[in-house]
Amino acid sequence: MATPEPAAAIQPPTPPADSASTHEFPLPPILQQPSAAGPAELITQGAEGRLYRTSWLTPTRPCALKHRPSKPYRHPTLDARLTRHRILSEVRILQKCRREGVAVPALYGIDESQGVLSMEWVPGRPVRVEVNEFLRRRAEKYPHSDGGRGRDEVARDEEGAAPLVGLMRRIGEAVGKLHKAGIVHGDLTTSNMMVRPWEKDKGPVNGHHADGQAEEAEHSLEGEIVVIDFGLASQGSADEDRAVDLYVLERAFGSTHPRAEALFTVVLEAYKDTFKVAPVVLKKLEDVRMRGRKRSMLG
Amino acid sequence: MAALETVELEHLPATHTVLLALYRNVANTAFLQEQLLSRNADFEYAFVDASTVASRFQLLSAVYKAIAAEMAGSMRTPNVHSEVVVSLNSNNNISEAYRRYGVQPSTKDVVVVKVLISREGSPSSLSPEDVGKHLQTHVQGESVSCSDEELAKVTDWPKLRKYHKLNGLPWIEAIKDEKAKKNELEMLIISAMAMRGT
Amino acid sequence: MAPLYALGCEGSANKLGIGVISHDPTTNTTRILSNVRHTFNSPPGTGFLPKDTAAHHRAHFVSVAREALRAAGLTDPARELSCICYTRGPGMGAPLTSTAVAARTLAALWGLDLVGVNHCVGHIEMGRFITGAANPVVLYVSGGNTQVIAYAEQRYRIFGETLDIAVGNCIDRFARTLQIPNDPFPGYNVEQVAKKAFYTVAADRTTKTPRDPVLLDLPYAVKGMDCSFSGILGAADLQAAQMQKQDALLAAGGALKEGEQRITREDLCFTLQEVVFAMLVEITERAMAHVGSKQVLVVGGVGCNERLQEMMGLMARDRGGSVYATDERFCIDNGIMIGLAGLLAWETGFRTPFEESTCTQRFRTDEVHIKWRTD
Repeated sequence: MATPEPAAAIQPPTPPADSASTHEFPLPPILQQPSAAGPAELITQGAEGRLYRTSWLTPTRPCALKHRPSKPYRHPTLDARLTRHRILSEVRILQKCRREGVAVPALYGIDESQGVLSMEWVPGRPVRVEVNEFLRRRAEKYPHSDGGRGRDEVARDEEGAAPLVGLMRRIGEAVGKLHKAGIVHGDLTTSNMMVRPWEKDKGPVNGHHADGQAEEAEHSLEGEIVVIDFGLASQGSADEDRAVDLYVLERAFGSTHPRAEALFTVVLEAYKDTFKVAPVVLKKLEDVRMRGRKRSMLG
Repeated sequence: MAALETVELEHLPATHTVLLALYRNVANTAFLQEQLLSRNADFEYAFVDASTVASRFQLLSAVYKAIAAEMAGSMRTPNVHSEVVVSLNSNNNISEAYRRYGVQPSTKDVVVVKVLISREGSPSSLSPEDVGKHLQTHVQGESVSCSDEELAKVTDWPKLRKYHKLNGLPWIEAIKDEKAKKNELEMLIISAMAMRGT
Repeated sequence: MAPLYALGCEGSANKLGIGVISHDPTTNTTRILSNVRHTFNSPPGTGFLPKDTAAHHRAHFVSVAREALRAAGLTDPARELSCICYTRGPGMGAPLTSTAVAARTLAALWGLDLVGVNHCVGHIEMGRFITGAANPVVLYVSGGNTQVIAYAEQRYRIFGETLDIAVGNCIDRFARTLQIPNDPFPGYNVEQVAKKAFYTVAADRTTKTPRDPVLLDLPYAVKGMDCSFSGILGAADLQAAQMQKQDALLAAGGALKEGEQRITREDLCFTLQEVVFAMLVEITERAMAHVGSKQVLVVGGVGCNERLQEMMGLMARDRGGSVYATDERFCIDNGIMIGLAGLLAWETGFRTPFEESTCTQRFRTDEVHIKWRTD
């Protein structure tokens, strides 16, 4: 092939320099007060705000403190409106969930003017982390697989998949319970669900039992699903909203855990049995999926 | 004899000192209530009916909420001590809160909360010792440690469940383990208290 | 090995863009040799119709292609080019077809391979090359698309998207409501009107006084990582109608009600931008938090908006990262983005056989196997 003598290439703009990777954030006023347990630990910087692990009242009681700092990119009027609205909506929803027996963190304290919400610390790790570790362990166990490129999906009946299938079932039940209680989460992802290890010495709470298998198993998929982060949740029982909730989870799951995508049907199967109109919601989910495909392709 | 306890609370500014005491079988509850009603400046205390306290954690939650309101200048009652009493409630009815959680002539066991506040370089005029002596002189009851163990002996759960509208929740009734059940109830009460006023 | 050359042809909407790009697989060096574009603009208050747009593309294809080759210094495309790349979708059917037919003709004429390209993937690859962002969360915002995308395992996966109309469509249609011109493109003109909300001009037009823009009441619609714009457009249209009533009332010598907010075009455009961009930044931040990325790349026509770039930059700064955005040469639909994505695919052995060289209005970003990325 001949090589042409090209004109001067068009110069692209210069890329920006990365901001300093260690960015110091102003702490909310409460965390500027003395604490015997030491300084608060920044756990995540979610889109909603920053989550700190700190102590509540006594040094030995851990607490999840969520700070919604004002967003510099947002118009101050819009910012204040959204922050206040969301924090109050979140606490009302958390309390409603607890009253209905849905496993969510308990509320410890609210300061809506400072955008601070203090909650019970949920022990355990996010579903996202547990699932990814499960998939990593599986890949190590079966090194003949194609190195994690694309097609290597977990099958429901394959050897060793049972704990993951069980977890998926509990996710479906947890979402069903939430919907039954009249709450739509609005941001269901595997980061917004914790796997709280069963408490050995405590009686079963919220209908879940610590089965014998959990005691001997070393894998970490065992535990109660605790849904967290109700920052975008709303109260309601419209089938459409519930279906969109499931659709959001389905897509988040597929994009976060592509190799376990096929197991998502287990979530939906478990969901179907949790409350009366669940089958109707699943029917609606099909419509939502169809629309989803259409809209993102055209606009 | 268990004396007055100074409680270290997390995220409490150094300007505030929380003192706590529990008295069993108090003989002069009518007198104590009278001092509050007559706004006797020597009796700036929160006298709480101990049967309405679920746990030390729940009690301290109310204390912390009251102090936070005091610091933010958002109290709905005359002082931090009355604020402690209303903070035990899960709705905004102030007189109902005094009636339910504050000392009454019929009250048997009393939790005393005292918050010492020093302002702008002037320390509180009272020391914990002064408070201890004052209580010893004026509260006719048996002083015991304000621990979960002691509090549990006097908690009136049916009353608490009624006050915080916690009856008729089938999933709660389904919990077999009493400890787990009480823990769920306690958390529901604390959440409801936290939400009051929002 | 010498660098490879590709001609990219884009015509999925009202821009006909043709350009020449080169890529050297051994050094992974990319060069843009030419980038020519011709835009079909309809009069203010109207949108571009598929039929007219297709006719525009047919009428201008030859001259735009000739100019692209000339500017790139190519004299013998049949020998110099490796492939002809065209937009397979998504987009409007008629203009897509016109461009595809023209691209197919060139391939047949010169005996070159054809490569059908996903328009969204074109934007992403162009953005990555231009900005040097290796693995960013991508916000793809245009008149037809609103998607938050992140790469995983050889797919560009869609984390969030609009639940109804695209953000660019929302802005364009509101521009029509206010009779804001379409040239160079409606979003640009809305942005200029919004900037005027920051000052008042004296009656004699000589002095400007700074003012705080008024944030009017518009809904805010974010659901998880998805968002919705049709309700906002409806509310903005209502506010515009209210403004026209006020205009008429004041022109007739009347007065507004006590405490009634005087609505202006400037505040309306300002508010619309503030609200819809805040939503976009929020869903992008959520995706960044979710995948743990600090880089964000904004592509698509709306990505040229300076206010959106500024807001995105403030968000990224707070996360210790940065925003990568390009200017209108690369942000707005163009031929080289199709050329680049097509050439990368061609190098992995991908070809679009003649009999399959169709186009489609519907073509999801995550359908494309991104074989050229191995990270």
